[in-house]
This record gives sequence, C-alpha cells and structure tokens, in this order.
Amino acid sequence: MSFSARTRWILVLLACLAVSLASVAYPLYVIRPFRAQGARELAAALVISRIGRVLTVVSALAAVAAAIAYWRARAPMFRRISVAAGAVLVCVLAVLARANFYELLLFHPLEHPEFAAAADVRLDDDDKVIAVKIGGSARAYPIREMAYHHVANDVVGGTALAATY
Amino acid sequence: MRNVDGRRLTFHLAGINNQNFLMRDEETGSYWQQISGLAISGPLKGRQLTLVLSDELNFATWKAEEPAGTVLKEVAKYASGYETKDWDMRMRHAAAVIQFPEHGMQSRDLVLGIQTAGASRAFLYDRVIAEMLVKSYLGTQPVLLVVGPDGQSVRAFRDRIPGVDGVPDFYRLNMDQPGAPSLMIDAATGSQWNFQGCAISGSAKGACLERIPMLKDYWFNWRNYNPSTTIWGSGTR
Repeated sequence: MSFSARTRWILVLLACLAVSLASVAYPLYVIRPFRAQGARELAAALVISRIGRVLTVVSALAAVAAAIAYWRARAPMFRRISVAAGAVLVCVLAVLARANFYELLLFHPLEHPEFAAAADVRLDDDDKVIAVKIGGSARAYPIREMAYHHVANDVVGGTALAATY
Repeated sequence: MRNVDGRRLTFHLAGINNQNFLMRDEETGSYWQQISGLAISGPLKGRQLTLVLSDELNFATWKAEEPAGTVLKEVAKYASGYETKDWDMRMRHAAAVIQFPEHGMQSRDLVLGIQTAGASRAFLYDRVIAEMLVKSYLGTQPVLLVVGPDGQSVRAFRDRIPGVDGVPDFYRLNMDQPGAPSLMIDAATGSQWNFQGCAISGSAKGACLERIPMLKDYWFNWRNYNPSTTIWGSGTR
C-alpha cells in the first residue's frame, strides 16, 4: 500500500476520532452542574447528544475499517498498534455516547419503585413528602429519597405518572 | 402524567439546565425540562406533559389525611446517599448559576409559585408561613394560601365557595390548637373549613374549594421560567 493510501486511512481515523470526541465531549461540557447553560448551546448539545448515539457507531465502524486497512498496509508495527489503539478509542467513545453519567455516577435511578404502608417506612413525622391522590389512591414520595433519585416512574390509581423533584 | 399520544413514557434523569434538571424518555429519546414538563429536544419537542396536582406535606399531615396511602420505600443500597429532612433549607446557602436580584430577592429564597388565569406570582414561603392565611389575586382570580396544622405545609385554593356569589372572606381559626380539625372560617356562610379546603360545618358543609396547583421552588428557578412573575411578600423583609 502506498504512503498516500496509509495517510488516507490515518486521516479517516483522525476524522472519526474528532467526530466521536466532539459528540461526547460537547454535551458533557455544556450540560454539567454548577454552570449556566445558554439556550442555543443547550439546544445544540442536546441535538448532538441525540445524533451522537448513531454518529459514534458509524464513526466506530469507519475507524475499525480504517484500522484494518492500515494494519494490512505493513506499516511499522508501532504505527499499526497506534492506529489500532485509536480505533479502540473511537469504539469506547461510541459506548460513552450512550452512557447516562448522571445516573451512572451521580444519582442512581429507581429501577423498580416499591411501596409500603405508612407504618412500615422509616420516616419521621416532620419528614416532607410529595403527595398525590388519583382515583382514590394516595401515594407519598419522601423528599429525602426524591432529592437523590429525582424521578420515580409510577402508576397511581391507574394513571401513569412521573414524580420528579 | 407520562402518557403522550397514548404511549407510556419512562423517564430518566439526563442532565441539567441552569440547575433545573432534564429528563430523557426511553421510548423516543426526547429531552424534557423538569419544571415545565415541556419536551425541548427530540421527536416529541414541543409536547407538554400534563401536570398532576400534588402537595408537599409533612409526613404526619399526610398520614392523618390518607391513612390507607402508600409510601415510596427507600432503596437500601442507596440510602446512605439520601438527603436529610431539611435539605431544601440547607440548599438555600448553595450558589446559584443564574441570578434575578429583583425586589431584593435572593437566588435561593424559597417561594410558592402559582400560575393561573394568565398570571404568575411567587409568594415568599417564610411570609406565608408567618401569615398562616394569605388572600390574593392572580389576574382576575382570587386565591387563598392556607398553612396546615403542622405550620409548614401549604395549599392553594380558588377563593370561591360553590354556590356563593362574590369572593368570601376567610379567617384563620384555632391557631393555638394545631390538632383542631378546622382551621378557617368564612364570613359569607359562617362555615368552618379544614386544611383540605372542605367545609366541615355550617351551611356550606360538604363543599370544597377548588385546589390550585402550586410549586415550592427557589426564586431563581421560578423566575427563570416565569419571567413576568410578580412577587408577594418581599416588601417587608
């Protein structure tokens, strides 16, 4: 394989890396706690976050294809390994693009909310709850729990609701 | 409610926007703003979730009203990360990334926000608690904010008694008897009313005032999503 062909595969890999890195890093940068978000940058970050889930997969496939092609080009071994590592990084970014860091690292979700009678929960009388009543069914969501989980997907009195705090 | 176009959505915490969190639904990948229930990005952009009427109450008050109710159980493996009971008060000292220092308001002043009749108003929580009963107008709608027997829970009602003309005057009762079933009386019918806004004696017995949705929030967040809001209670701090 000619030098220009090897260069082309490297450029493909670098382009994949740049696209995938931007798809992951920009939303993480914009949508982070204790930072003011502008309306336009937020809108862009959310669009990039959504399309990044597909884009990074396409990018990973292209990076792997480029790495395979480069590997077959019989370049020096350290260069082939570097290119392979680059392709692995692009694949890792494809996984990260689908990760919910808020739930993974900060506030674990309520996977299967469970409920009990008032007498069977550990709450003080002056604990605060978010209370709803639908179709005769009354439900309380303790704020000390909701301030951690933030979202509870529930069905109360036959109505599907999301309690949020 | 989390049904949109007949489809049940499952929401996850997915980010933050000026310290109000974003949700993402599993089914379409759309992003929703928590405070407004509005989809701001994705296939369902522009759709609005229907708000379910809710209260923020002391557990004792809720138990007394709903003895057969059920409570979300804690998840043992995460319980060490749960907040303390005065979390909202402690957070008043945390920094805010956006500020609206109007009328002497501090970013994390606790307010009770009401949107109705095309108007919005933030009622300063500490002042409402001190007053125990607040009468006000939003647009053309008379509203009533009532503090519960626990001295912390607050509900909002439309200040109209079914079948009675005009705007009745309500007065607080039994402030030195926290366990008393009635906590206000109206001048129009002489009926006594409980914290659920229902008359338990007098000619209006059995009637209930219409509940108005109300949000307990920090000033900066309420103001950010209600730019034309007015404020009640900031003048005497």
